[in-house]
Amino acid sequence: MSEEIGGEVVPDSTRELNIDGELDIMIEDLDLWYGTKQALYGVSLPIARNSVTALIGPSGCGKSTLLRTINRMNDLIPICKYEGTITKGDVVITDKGADLVELRKSIGMVFQRPNPFPKSIYDNVGYGVRLHHQPTRDELDAIVEKSLKRAAIWNEVADRLHDLGTSLSGGQQQRLCIARTIAIEPDVILMDEPCSALDPIATAAIEELILELKKDFTVVIVTHSMSQAARVSDYTGFMYLGRMVEFNKTEKIFSEPDQELTQRYITGRFG
Amino acid sequence: MKKDIDLLKKRNRKRRDLMERAGSTGLALSGFIGLMFLSVLVWQIAVPTFIEGETGQIEPASEFIPVSEYVLKWDHPTVDDDGALIGDPVVLELTWDDGGTERTHSIAVTVTSERNLREDIVINASGVSTEAVEVGKKTKFYIQSSLEVPVDIHQASGPVPAADETGSPTVSSFVISADVSVVVDDGRFVSHPLTMVAWLMLVFVVALLSFPMPAVLSAMEALLNRQAAVRYTLYGLAAGTLALAGFTLEAWLGAGCWTMSAVGINRTLQGMERLKSQGRDVTQFDRLKHSITNREGVLMWSRMLLVFSTLFIPLLIDVPFLTERYQDIFQPYASGIRSAFFGTIWVMGIAMVVSMPVSIGAAIYLEEYAAPTKTTKLIQALVTNLAGVPSIVFGMFGLAIFVKQGGIGLGLGPSILAAGLTMGVMAMPIIVLASQEALRSVPTSLRESAYGVGCTQWQVTRDHVLPSAMPGIMTGSILAMSRIMGEAAPLVVVGAAALVLFDPEPLAGLLGGNKGFTVIPIQIYFWTSEPEHAWHSMAAAASITLILLLAAMNSVAIVLRQHFRKRLNS
Ligand SMILES: Nc1ncnc2c1ncn2[C@@H]1O[C@H](COP(=O)(O)OP(=O)(O)OP(=O)(O)O)[C@@H](O)[C@H]1O
Ligand SMILES: [Mg+2]
Repeated sequence: MSEEIGGEVVPDSTRELNIDGELDIMIEDLDLWYGTKQALYGVSLPIARNSVTALIGPSGCGKSTLLRTINRMNDLIPICKYEGTITKGDVVITDKGADLVELRKSIGMVFQRPNPFPKSIYDNVGYGVRLHHQPTRDELDAIVEKSLKRAAIWNEVADRLHDLGTSLSGGQQQRLCIARTIAIEPDVILMDEPCSALDPIATAAIEELILELKKDFTVVIVTHSMSQAARVSDYTGFMYLGRMVEFNKTEKIFSEPDQELTQRYITGRFG
Repeated sequence: MKKDIDLLKKRNRKRRDLMERAGSTGLALSGFIGLMFLSVLVWQIAVPTFIEGETGQIEPASEFIPVSEYVLKWDHPTVDDDGALIGDPVVLELTWDDGGTERTHSIAVTVTSERNLREDIVINASGVSTEAVEVGKKTKFYIQSSLEVPVDIHQASGPVPAADETGSPTVSSFVISADVSVVVDDGRFVSHPLTMVAWLMLVFVVALLSFPMPAVLSAMEALLNRQAAVRYTLYGLAAGTLALAGFTLEAWLGAGCWTMSAVGINRTLQGMERLKSQGRDVTQFDRLKHSITNREGVLMWSRMLLVFSTLFIPLLIDVPFLTERYQDIFQPYASGIRSAFFGTIWVMGIAMVVSMPVSIGAAIYLEEYAAPTKTTKLIQALVTNLAGVPSIVFGMFGLAIFVKQGGIGLGLGPSILAAGLTMGVMAMPIIVLASQEALRSVPTSLRESAYGVGCTQWQVTRDHVLPSAMPGIMTGSILAMSRIMGEAAPLVVVGAAALVLFDPEPLAGLLGGNKGFTVIPIQIYFWTSEPEHAWHSMAAAASITLILLLAAMNSVAIVLRQHFRKRLNS
């Protein structure tokens, strides 16, 4: 089925959702409204464990919105309502009674704009750990160091751990946020355009990091850069006007997409 | 296209520059007006004698009224240690027309230490009965004339007296003192040496945390192995200050200074140790800065404490006007505002204790927790409107609820407690609104990142939103406090007294005892309504005190705001 919107034939959200590996999170038939404005239309998406799933699509198509439903960040927006189910194993994330603290502990998020706490670098990373586990000072020191090393920022901050996190550069802040997220050992990391504020060198560092993280975590990343999606991801979902137009293995999407719309988007002949 | 944008940019810059200039000019102007205002106040204190020398006229006696009377009142001669009048000797001259020739009679005025309430001077055909009069406190001269011609009176020499408020010569107030020194100059250092040293120590710590002092740092290296000893010495000094200086405000501030210094020095030593273990030079401040745990925070609290204890005049300089003297109804210049000063402190303290927790709690609830239902909207509207309600209305409210007995009244009587509660209620809506504003300005991204690491709502509020909003909340609260500190109207209604010759008893309203109290604005109000100028000068002195107290509180607010801004910008 499809619908014509503004002279463009937009297919309904795809049902072809094949993945090779083990399923980690399943999103099914998600409709979402901001007030009366519908932002997602029957979106379904499987997320494979220990892989990188990329979400691409033009601005305003609902990538962030979809990502934020996975850890229920949209609950913070009072006018946001949704229907559909998201499951992680036997946990129904969209359940009213879901334990949001446990959920967000196991599904970490890195935001589009780096947003470290206005606390010291040390506390930025240590805060969540201290909250969930009660580590001794030495254990915490070790966790902080390990997380900062994994986020490829340790060398830059080792001797200024008690400086404010907000005093770092944008790229450093973003890596600090990644360190903060991995410090609490989630299963899944959601990244909303983590490189949009970064220079090519920092971007390369983060991409390398994502490939590294994949070994231990499931990663979902929203990106505007086709090349980035192609470089780091295993699966790619292309979204348009709130629909999941196409989902498939990244090689497939970038070599021979099923949908003409996808083809046009990834080759830059769009709009 | 580009040209258009350039044009727009130019225009915007112009507008911005204009705004900036207008803003700075406005600030300068208001500063100037403030200074003018202050100098007028100082002038009022410094030059309390006004206008011109005393002149008057005694009406001629008539057939029907055989004697006409003229009363001169001598309020307050200022004397030196030996009891001699300060200034030139005062001479009054009486002049009248004795059948074509002008006759003059001089009366010398001397000072007595006795309280001399009355001096009679009789003028008749044979002359004036008295060559000299003695004045003490509040002496009145009753000058009786049985002459059938008017007698002119004027002061021939001596300090110039004040004119009567009404301009009527019948009763005049002689104020023979231009001596400000009585009011201000005998302030002296009465601080306990321990609190003085504590204050100096805090100055040192603020310096230590603020800029590089390599020599001091290398000297401190010797203390690295004795951190515990240093810490316990400083804590001991804090306890010692409390024990030796008594549990006074001064002692508490002193103990605070010691404790803060202990924290600052301790953190610095820890930072140095960290550097040393990394094999780095401990005297290099740029590096050290980063390894001092929460240097910013410690610095902020130290600075605030420093500002507060410095501007809190009685800590360092004891001014009898503030802390020793009560009002002296006979001698304006020997009066002080001890009772009003402590009254103000108590009222503010009670107002703060009752209003801040409640208001901040309400703000947090409204901003963070309450669903936007009709009820919360109604409450919000009520709070917003309450902030604009005239203060006298809060006075009426306080009268009904706190002062009066029976009905809904708590029956605390016109006491400090009732006044503090009333003022607290008045401050509440202001604090709620300011706190809400501060909470609202915490960026959503901060909340999101906190939720993102798995915080509960309470944890987000406690660990992230509140700390970020706290400077704003504190600034708002302090400004609310300084607003109510200057209010007289509600307390007139609540029943502050004009004359209180004892220290206020804060719990008298509950426990019984002497309920009477006054505060500085009330004292100013009553003193300005006295007819004599001397009291006006005292009112001016009290006003300056009030302004200094406000300045102290606002400085704390400024330090907070500055800190907040720096943190956001970095
Ligand atoms: N808080 C909100 N309130 C109302 N509408 C919103 C809100 N957030 C997003 N939307 C709307 O939902 C739609 C999807 O937004 P979303 O942020 O998910 O887009 P996106 O694909 O992430 O875009 P971008 O690539 O620019 O980040 C947009 O039309 C947007 O206007
Ligand atoms: Mg987005």
